[in-house]
Amino acid sequence: MSGLLLLPVLPIAVAAAAALGLRGIWVRAATLAAALACLALAVAAAAITERTGKLDLVPDWFGLNSLGALFLLLAAALAVTAALFSTGYVRHLTPDGAAERRYYLNFNLFVASLLLVPLMLEVALAWVAVELTTLLSIFLVGFANTGEALEAAWKYAVLTIMGATVAALGFFLLLWGLAQSGGGPQTFDALVSAAPAMPSALRKLAFALILVGFGTKIGLVPVHTWLPDAHSQAPTPVCALLSGIEVSLILYVVMRLLPVFTAIADFPIGDWLIVVGLLSAGVAAFLLLQVHDLKRLFAYSTVEHMGILLTALGFGAGAAYGTVYHVLTHALAKSLAFYAAGVVVLALGTRDIGAVRGLLRTNPFCGAALLAAGLAIAGAPPFAVFLSEITILRAGLAAEQYWAVGLLAFFIVVAFLGVMRHVNGMVFGEPKSDVRAVLPASAVATVVIAMVPVLVLGISMPGPLAHLIEVAAAEIARTP
Amino acid sequence: MSMAVVASLNTLFGVLFLLATFMMLALRQTQAILHAYVAQALLLVGSTALLAVAAASPELAIVAFITLVAKPLLVPALIVRLLAPALRAKREVQATINVPATLALALAISLLAYFLTRPLVAGVDPVVQVNVPIGLDVLLLGVVMLAIRREAVPQLMSLMVIDNGAFFAGIAITTSSALVEFAAALEGVMVVMIVALLTRAIARSLGRTEVSALAMLREGKAP
Repeated sequence: MSGLLLLPVLPIAVAAAAALGLRGIWVRAATLAAALACLALAVAAAAITERTGKLDLVPDWFGLNSLGALFLLLAAALAVTAALFSTGYVRHLTPDGAAERRYYLNFNLFVASLLLVPLMLEVALAWVAVELTTLLSIFLVGFANTGEALEAAWKYAVLTIMGATVAALGFFLLLWGLAQSGGGPQTFDALVSAAPAMPSALRKLAFALILVGFGTKIGLVPVHTWLPDAHSQAPTPVCALLSGIEVSLILYVVMRLLPVFTAIADFPIGDWLIVVGLLSAGVAAFLLLQVHDLKRLFAYSTVEHMGILLTALGFGAGAAYGTVYHVLTHALAKSLAFYAAGVVVLALGTRDIGAVRGLLRTNPFCGAALLAAGLAIAGAPPFAVFLSEITILRAGLAAEQYWAVGLLAFFIVVAFLGVMRHVNGMVFGEPKSDVRAVLPASAVATVVIAMVPVLVLGISMPGPLAHLIEVAAAEIARTP
Repeated sequence: MSMAVVASLNTLFGVLFLLATFMMLALRQTQAILHAYVAQALLLVGSTALLAVAAASPELAIVAFITLVAKPLLVPALIVRLLAPALRAKREVQATINVPATLALALAISLLAYFLTRPLVAGVDPVVQVNVPIGLDVLLLGVVMLAIRREAVPQLMSLMVIDNGAFFAGIAITTSSALVEFAAALEGVMVVMIVALLTRAIARSLGRTEVSALAMLREGKAP
């Protein structure tokens, strides 16, 4: 399976070609082809890890475990839909060929960084990969080059680089703990094995630094302020990648480290995660109610879902399956939500929620897409997000976290009402204007393709995927 | 060099490293802040080189060399090259709180860093006893600097201060391979280059680098 090393190489090669002058239809086709090849490799890798539990490429350096395989699969799948959406969208955004080439240069580099994160077994290199996801997406966030886009890019750059650097000291402390307890290869697995021998004061300080640092990058309240800006100002396919998988990938690194911090005497790590998670879910749910910008609506929903995931991690081993399942359903539904928002913005030329009514009549495709995407991300049955949220709530009840489950359920309902209030207003009612713009075929195709897994997974889960989620959940739930 | 000499020299470097950070907090001119940053980065290199000699570690010597090329040389060179107009501005750069209040806050944070790391460094190597508390302290002071500065270039330098703090602790407590060190140094240079290019785009688009004035994105406002 050494072909897996091609994963980051393929998009980097396309980026290099774009830098050297590949343009027009060629750079669009090459980007899509590279993403499809990466998806095929990711599916093959996931099939192997689903059976064997892990896949070594360069032992102690590069490889995959089952949890990483699931994230890799999601990153590659979203890279495909984002590349497809980009084909018509970027041309619409700017007629300038040089700008389009610059977009694809940055887009492919960003995709490469996303694919790198789950492939890192070495802890410090995983940190570097996380930092690369930030650095390589800054220019994408600021791509529109308007005052708003540059402001969003600046906040994004400064706050998330700060967060990653704060987390770096946490990583150094853990590596110190590893050296104190005998040393060896600096991998996630080695850290987990060495954890019981590490001083608890060291583990607590490392946990605080990593939670605050990576929490900033995940967009947890109160250090979420950059997220609604960056995840709404970026070009739509980039929003889908940022909100759908990038923030979850940072959470993935936290999940890999989580067993290091469990079982510290006098340190209820689960309670900490629940408090921080509920704070994010709650604040975001109420902030959802008062947005005016369609893309900001879905960006706040990302903060809410990250809060749900952190709370689920706090529920402990019993909720591990629900956590991993929710990562999957959120990635698929959130990317769909951004594609649906993207076609609405393309068709109407505005993101102002209040300016749009009666979309189902003026533009039935956009109306139906936005309604379905809204229901999917808000967690209505029979969409998959509903099932994963129910799984998490049930696991919380089984862990006897009644207060937390009650609050989480309340915030989920508030967020549901918040999303649907805005979406209903746009989709139903008397049309305000009668704009029927012609949508790029690629954008329409992306919405249809992204809709398929969101619908299918709510009704039936393929056996191998369900098993992959199970073995991935076992990775989070294990104790040193 | 005997261990005692190494330890006391390293303590001197640590104190000066912290002093440079306090100076950066107090200074009000961009160019002066950059000079203090270079001094701070050189002290980081000094501490790394000292540890390399003391431990006769070729790995740490490589780290010291990579750090020397990246932090006190490449980073300021990039900033000067990409952001010359913002650097030449003679006026005082603004901060949200005044100097005495900033220094009082910095003092409180230094005490916090000392107490947070005390249980970690009891009975360990005297070098670690200096580098871990001061590293955490400088990292936290960098966060404060980032929060109170209103302009792009000082904010970028605050990011580098946070980075220096993390590495000041890191060099004393971890050993790693050349690959990781190289990746980390490259990442540091990339941060400066990308944020500096972004600063230039902001300066061109808005005509200034006062990033605190960027307040177009907020709630309750139609897009």
